[in-house]
Amino acid sequence: MVEFWDVYLWPTLWIVLQIVAIVAPLLLAVAYLTYFERKVIGAMHLRLGPNVVGPFGLLQPIADGMKLFFKETVVPTGANRAVFVIAPMITFILALVAWAVIPFGPGLVLADINVGLLYLFGISSLGVYGIIMAGWASNSKYAFLGSLRSAAQMVSYEVSMGLIIVTVVLCVGSLNLSDIVRAQEGSLGMFNWFVFPLLPMAVIFFVSTLAETNRHPFDLPEAEAELVSGYNVEYSAMTFALFFLGEYANMILMSAMTTILFLGGWLPPFNFAPFTWVPGPVWFALKIAACLFVFVWVRATFPRYRYDQLMRLGWKVFLPISLVAVVVVAGAVAVFGWAPAEGVIHR
Amino acid sequence: METTSAGDILILGPVLPEIFLALTGMALLMVGVFTRDPEGDVADQAMAARLVNRLAVGALLVALVLVVAVSPEARVTTLGDMFVLDGYAVFFKVLVLLASMLSLLMSSQYLELVRSARFEYPTLVVFATVGMLMMISANDFLALYIGLELQSLCLYVLATFQREDVRSSEAGLKYFILSSLASGILLYGISLIYGFTGTINFDLLGQVFVGYGGEVPPLGVLTGLMFVLAGLAFKISAVPFHMWTPDVYDGAPTPATAFFSVGPKIAAVALLMRVMMEPFVGLVDQWQQVIVLISIASMLVGAFAAIVQTNIKRLMAYSSIGHVGYALMGLAAGSEAGVRGVMVYMAIYLFMNLGAFACILSMRRRDTMVVGIGDLAGLSKTQPALAAALAIFMFSLAGVPPVAGFFAKLYIFVAAVDAGLFVLAVIGVLSSVVAAYYYLRIVKIMYFDEATQPLDRAVGREVGWVMLGTGVLVLLFFLYPEPLLANAASAATALLGS
Amino acid sequence: MGGVRAAGLASHRDNTMGALLAEYQLLAEYLPILIFLGIAIVVAGAAVAMSYVVAQQRPDVAKESPYECGFEPFEDSRSKFDVRFYLVAILFIIFDLEVAFLFPWAVALTDIGAFGFWSMMVFLAVLTVGFIYEWRKGALEWE
Repeated sequence: MVEFWDVYLWPTLWIVLQIVAIVAPLLLAVAYLTYFERKVIGAMHLRLGPNVVGPFGLLQPIADGMKLFFKETVVPTGANRAVFVIAPMITFILALVAWAVIPFGPGLVLADINVGLLYLFGISSLGVYGIIMAGWASNSKYAFLGSLRSAAQMVSYEVSMGLIIVTVVLCVGSLNLSDIVRAQEGSLGMFNWFVFPLLPMAVIFFVSTLAETNRHPFDLPEAEAELVSGYNVEYSAMTFALFFLGEYANMILMSAMTTILFLGGWLPPFNFAPFTWVPGPVWFALKIAACLFVFVWVRATFPRYRYDQLMRLGWKVFLPISLVAVVVVAGAVAVFGWAPAEGVIHR
Repeated sequence: METTSAGDILILGPVLPEIFLALTGMALLMVGVFTRDPEGDVADQAMAARLVNRLAVGALLVALVLVVAVSPEARVTTLGDMFVLDGYAVFFKVLVLLASMLSLLMSSQYLELVRSARFEYPTLVVFATVGMLMMISANDFLALYIGLELQSLCLYVLATFQREDVRSSEAGLKYFILSSLASGILLYGISLIYGFTGTINFDLLGQVFVGYGGEVPPLGVLTGLMFVLAGLAFKISAVPFHMWTPDVYDGAPTPATAFFSVGPKIAAVALLMRVMMEPFVGLVDQWQQVIVLISIASMLVGAFAAIVQTNIKRLMAYSSIGHVGYALMGLAAGSEAGVRGVMVYMAIYLFMNLGAFACILSMRRRDTMVVGIGDLAGLSKTQPALAAALAIFMFSLAGVPPVAGFFAKLYIFVAAVDAGLFVLAVIGVLSSVVAAYYYLRIVKIMYFDEATQPLDRAVGREVGWVMLGTGVLVLLFFLYPEPLLANAASAATALLGS
Repeated sequence: MGGVRAAGLASHRDNTMGALLAEYQLLAEYLPILIFLGIAIVVAGAAVAMSYVVAQQRPDVAKESPYECGFEPFEDSRSKFDVRFYLVAILFIIFDLEVAFLFPWAVALTDIGAFGFWSMMVFLAVLTVGFIYEWRKGALEWE
């Protein structure tokens, strides 16, 4: 019996504990990301943003959540009930499980698998299923069109995202996310991060994440004016909340991906005190927050793209550029033995 | 299986024709897409199509020269033993390149007439030809499959090329679905064989099978063999895997049908014969009876089902099924004479079939293509030359001496009799008597029936040349058959001697 | 008795499972992901189910009809849609497969050397020809 406890139960419980330690802050972060977004946009619009519920409106996200929880779950007539309910769950589940491989600090990772980046890429591309299923199951024209648009948009930008990930992998020679972060370690501090040698790639990657998460200025799928919020028009209460949570968790995830690939993950920007005193996870969180700020900033600043412009940008600008980038970086790595960062480890 | 180094893989000399054609295909794609104004109308597209068509024919000619130029003294393998070049491959490659070239030459006039002239047609033919050349030279199931798929994918599109035509789309879709199924069966067979032998290389498989020493091989190998046979039988449209043929031949644009009936068929026969005679030669007792059955069934279906056809394209489809049956008779013999017979047969079949299709491509009435057999009535009076050409091809297809088709059948029957396959030979002779009925019926309609509405007297220049060339070859083959016979004989030795 | 049996069973399982785990260290690395997936499913399911139980459900016809700007929906919403979406899907498959093909190559590039590099360049060149073709053909336009 003792063996059973030692070998199976405690490790499992320990894993569960770790997962809770990831999920709970994540959900809290998602909740406060909405608050953050509203406050920042409010400030940029010279408004106040939420300020009624609690001090500075700090309890607003909690109130929103409670409200959605106690609302009626409406399933439209003619909808495929099972698919309709499963779709938001898929979005939410995928947004959560992707975090299993994210390294929050040196060694601070739940599953240190050697194909972490592939896993992340795979999970993020599965996200399109939730949306397509929702659009199909709703039995509503707006939801259907919104989901089609959304799916086409997501797959279009996924291609260039994949190619850019390949350029990073070329520089590192590993798909392990911790390795990718360590490859950006060096005497120059932040100047060793891939964001500098691969600058155009980093920009394209970030813009692609905007499209991948259906965020402004690529939020065509939910274009309020024409598609009344797109694929989730028929959703209400908790099913809607799951979509909402999933989308915002995806935003954070994409920021984390940008941070890991281009912004040095948990590494401090400078290699001397006081920067080195701050623990890695804090740097990681700060970098994610900076990325999220840009997400919100973009939303407050840019007008929405037209759909043809969106597709043109994805297929005719980003795809050729990232294809060329793969060739250039691969040539530099293979033919000249050039590597962008000092800490590059080729295993 | 020893590992191959980069140096071994990079011996590209024997693959030169394939590489050249593949590069040309891509270049043609670019030429076509950049000459044509993207917003251009039908005439614009037709112009680009004509340019690309000529370039493609030229490229195929260059590839033909290259094939002859790189033809080796002895058997060569390269690309990590996946690719083999021997006299056998060279012989069939020449046939396939001729088939592609001639059918491409005949295509542009028809496609312009039905307003479907687009530069993708010649490009696809070039890519399909690359696939066929790969099939002929495959020395490994993987290479075989890749070549086959490259060829098939191009053919599906060619079948649907007349996009506005419902039957063309239907033909392409049918072809695609059934052919994918056959590919799946073939792959399943390959995986079974790999599972039971541990290799997919033809040379190594041959050693394994010879190692059985006449014992009954494991059931998995047998099942795999049958699946491979079924998949390949589909590709050559042998009974009982022929159901797609009439619909596809009927629905596809006529130049594409002409191409289907020769190029892919010759390549697939070459492939089937290599697979049976090289890796599976040790299992000859197992596959021979199957080939005999397929051969008999094909000959009978080809002979009897064609009788009731009123559409000449469908008739040619059944005719091609029948001819595959005769060709398989040579394979069933399993001897060198049999292989040589098949090679001679395919060569002659190429010319007589292409010639027949050249005639079909000239059947127009008031600038619309017609395909009814009845439309040929009285052709001998309105267009004696065309009628004479078609009559020659029909006599040849029927196997009436002294035209070439007779000799083609003769060699096959002799090989079958030598191998002791008397029943097969008798059925072959009887079925060709039945088949002669419908071939000669066409001649009768042309020469003895009264014309109701005469056909246009417009035989296109290229079509006319193809008709003349193939006609002369078929008619006068008996005067000077040595080159073909000698080449086929040495090629057959190359296949069996290795 | 039952306890002894269970212990025996546990130790038996331990032997095999332990050996398996040691042998398949690779798979063991994925165990947390599996558990994470389980927890995520439970959390998502629980959220929907609890909300369904707690909240008052009072459906009526108007509420449950699909949204269509206040009209009764007058045709099936799962209608034909633009063929371009298919086109995008097909292009995506081609390029995503290419990306999947690039990943292992990128990881191993320093090991496979110039031969590996040029092989992939040939592949990319072929792909680029196709890309240029579809660009010129207008497959990437969305008017």
